[in-house]
Amino acid sequence: MTPPGSDARTAFDVADRLHLLEPWEVFGERARRYEIHLVGRSTELVRGPLELEGYGIRVFRPRDEGLGIGFQSSTEVSEDGIRTAAADAENLAPRSQFPAKKIDLPGSPAGNGGTVEMCDPKLWDRPMEAVQEFAEALLAPLDGRADVVPSFGSVRATLLETTLANSAGLRASFRHTLIELEFAVRAVGGPEGRPPGEYWINETSRRLAPERALPLIEEMERHARAVREAVPSPTGELPVVLPAPVLSTILPQVIGRRCSGIARLRQMAPEPGTAWGSDLLTLRDEGRWPWGIGSAPVDDEGTPHRRRTILERGKVSELLYDLPHAGAFDTRSTGNGLRGRGTIYLDWRRFLHPPTIASTTLFVEPGSGGSDAELVEAAGDGVWVQQFGSAVPDPLSGAFGGEIRIGYRIRHGKIAEPIRGGTVGGLVVAPPGQRSLIANVAAVGNSPQLCEAIVTPALLIRPLTVAGAS
Amino acid sequence: MSDLRNSEADFSRALARLEEHTPFAEILAQAERGEGVRLDRRSLTASQTPRLKGAVLRAWGGERWIEGATSSLEGPSIVHAADAVLQQLSKSTVKSPPPGEASTLRREWTERPARPVSEVGVEEMIALARDVLAWEASVPGVTEGVVSLNWNDEERFYLNTAGARAYQLLCRVGGFVTPIAVENGRVEFDYVSLGSLGGWDRFGVLTEASVTEVAREARQLLDARPPPTGAMSVLLDPGTAGTFAHESFGHGTEADQFLRDRSYLRPILGQEVSPEMLSIVDDGTHPDGWGTIRFDDEGRATQRTMLIDHGRFVGALHDRGTAAALHARPTGNARRSDFLSRLFVRMTNTYVEPGDRTFEELVEEAKNGVVLEHTTSGIEDPLGGQMQIKVKKGRRIENGQLTDPVTSMALSGKVLDVLRQMRGASRRADFQMTPGFCGKGHTDILPVGSGGVYLLSTAVVGPG
Repeated sequence: MTPPGSDARTAFDVADRLHLLEPWEVFGERARRYEIHLVGRSTELVRGPLELEGYGIRVFRPRDEGLGIGFQSSTEVSEDGIRTAAADAENLAPRSQFPAKKIDLPGSPAGNGGTVEMCDPKLWDRPMEAVQEFAEALLAPLDGRADVVPSFGSVRATLLETTLANSAGLRASFRHTLIELEFAVRAVGGPEGRPPGEYWINETSRRLAPERALPLIEEMERHARAVREAVPSPTGELPVVLPAPVLSTILPQVIGRRCSGIARLRQMAPEPGTAWGSDLLTLRDEGRWPWGIGSAPVDDEGTPHRRRTILERGKVSELLYDLPHAGAFDTRSTGNGLRGRGTIYLDWRRFLHPPTIASTTLFVEPGSGGSDAELVEAAGDGVWVQQFGSAVPDPLSGAFGGEIRIGYRIRHGKIAEPIRGGTVGGLVVAPPGQRSLIANVAAVGNSPQLCEAIVTPALLIRPLTVAGAS
Repeated sequence: MSDLRNSEADFSRALARLEEHTPFAEILAQAERGEGVRLDRRSLTASQTPRLKGAVLRAWGGERWIEGATSSLEGPSIVHAADAVLQQLSKSTVKSPPPGEASTLRREWTERPARPVSEVGVEEMIALARDVLAWEASVPGVTEGVVSLNWNDEERFYLNTAGARAYQLLCRVGGFVTPIAVENGRVEFDYVSLGSLGGWDRFGVLTEASVTEVAREARQLLDARPPPTGAMSVLLDPGTAGTFAHESFGHGTEADQFLRDRSYLRPILGQEVSPEMLSIVDDGTHPDGWGTIRFDDEGRATQRTMLIDHGRFVGALHDRGTAAALHARPTGNARRSDFLSRLFVRMTNTYVEPGDRTFEELVEEAKNGVVLEHTTSGIEDPLGGQMQIKVKKGRRIENGQLTDPVTSMALSGKVLDVLRQMRGASRRADFQMTPGFCGKGHTDILPVGSGGVYLLSTAVVGPG
């Protein structure tokens, strides 16, 4: 499982010095971070390497009818530091209680687990140079331009060496890279006093792709110009097309939680076999999908990833589990115990967090809705949302919604004028027979795109509530 | 608790090393200790704040800032980190704006609350959490609930080569109580939150009356209708008004956005932007603030900064660099989310000052519209001048009367339009400060306070 050259031993070294009763696990990570911050065409600040090595120890102790689970994380790798962190975890276990009768820790998988593409080799070998080259690639298409200029941005690249060890004999390690890109371009000039238009992206990926810079900037330029032309959004119950970058901020956060052991434990999960989605919609969890930010050979508890079907033609097929929730339901972990995954933010310092259940890479099976243009044609009279301020889905109630930062009116099956302001929202999931984003999918496109933790084509939802000023 | 001041000699050695090669250098060290409990009907988790501490070293190389960080506070590691920073000096070709005036603050803030939660212990926190969960459960139809309580003692120790030596111990207490109602697959919840500097007494807001009231509201949301949609009168509750202040005139007045030419507000500094009844403040010294700090991460004492004074846009938030570039004075708003994160101009506690109306008067004046209650998030648009605020629930206003409850909403609007259409702020008795977490864009999260009173204006609202 370890790619050639990886020499990380954080969790192994900690495990070798632990004197704990079984069962226990150690998640270790060694990280180097490189950052470049831009203002206009200038470099504002270069940082790095920022080096951080740490680990999280988790112990499982019988308590009443269940388990007491204790967790502590630390950057102190000395003998004393490890002893203190282990004692913390041990002391917390009897103060905690979880309704699992057992915990089945995974042992080392047979073979090397195969290769999952998640480590950018150029970034790994020449991190600061690679970050600078990528920043230059972003700026290059805007050289000499007076009508569209770089506004600000940052490229923050983290090189991670993850190690896992547990009392069942697991010893696993892998390298991976994470890139947080924030970049904004501004359309300026033209008639006197006309306000500028900015298009601002925030995205996390696994590799720097300088060849992607030119098309990315061209697309950003188009939307920045559209901001200047935009008119208020309409109001009504309208067909809405949501492309992959928008869906990446909505679906994983809600599906990963509501279709999980966490929700089942609290009687909020859909029953397998019930139809919560449109029969056009099939959702899978693909933990080994190349370059997905949630992809890896194993999850953060050491369980190997394999394909899971969450929704099959709209019907709930399988729920997602980590080790403790699998223990609570006498089933097996699905490899969805992940660390550092909040509703909005991904924390690169993953060892600070105990695992929780999340989807790894959510895959929306392409449909027969055709290209984006064909989805727009099918919408007829509606709205294309290019970017929300923030959709901020609520995993509990399933509600989502946000301000349209930039979108496009769809008229007579064609993209028409840009729109801005107003909101689009509703429920992502709702019980059978009720309206929701996944129940009202009217067409699924045929061109899936990887965006952070999802691979999906654009979806046509008919209808969603659009609240505009017009 | 280990005291960062015990490492002062090592920090001084590292600073001396940096000073040999640079005109100015500073070190900010950070350490935290804390505990938390999370209780629901199925599980209990007791946790401790990660054992994470470290320091960031920053030097002005004459033309640029250079910086590095270490998570080890052992003497050799700090000096090694200083050497690593100096290595960057020769490699970097970045040119930064002049650094401005350095802090010379020499002061220590070591006050602890009368009854620190750290001395009360996790068992009492668990006992309180069990009481709160039982109060939630006493409300028919509330089938689930989550109670999270925590304390966190954070030290920050700042030293520089201009002579500053500043130390602060910040004892924070936080809590989040979420009664959940589930019926036929539909899930709704409401919440009570608390967060500020202080001790055990801060948990006093979690009474049987306050918890059962919010639990009843959670149950009621199962029967609530979706909100009305479109442009209408919006009456923001005190927490939502605080989020409005934060997203509208907070982010847009962070002066690094001025230097990026990325604030639509910069050209209108000094102008009237709203009716006279509106004043907005950022105040790092507020006694009830979740974002209260004694000094910022450039060693500058925090202060109260007027942003809008009776309708006039009068001030911006600065670090030393933006202050130097814009001929202003630093306002104590230079913050890092931790020693691994870069420094930005950030808010502390941002709030709307009280007005002179009553809530009932504002409802009557709204005539038709919606009250937005229990804010859940917001996001700014510093250049475009838009803003988004989301709330958990609300109530319709029809013919000047409060009527039906409605489910979660998103508000959208152009900040200047919303300001111009302000029609009233309620009295001091309604003032509340609420805790939150703020990102600069989508990263660099840190604690902030937001507050205010009921505020009446017009905006677009829809489900969210």
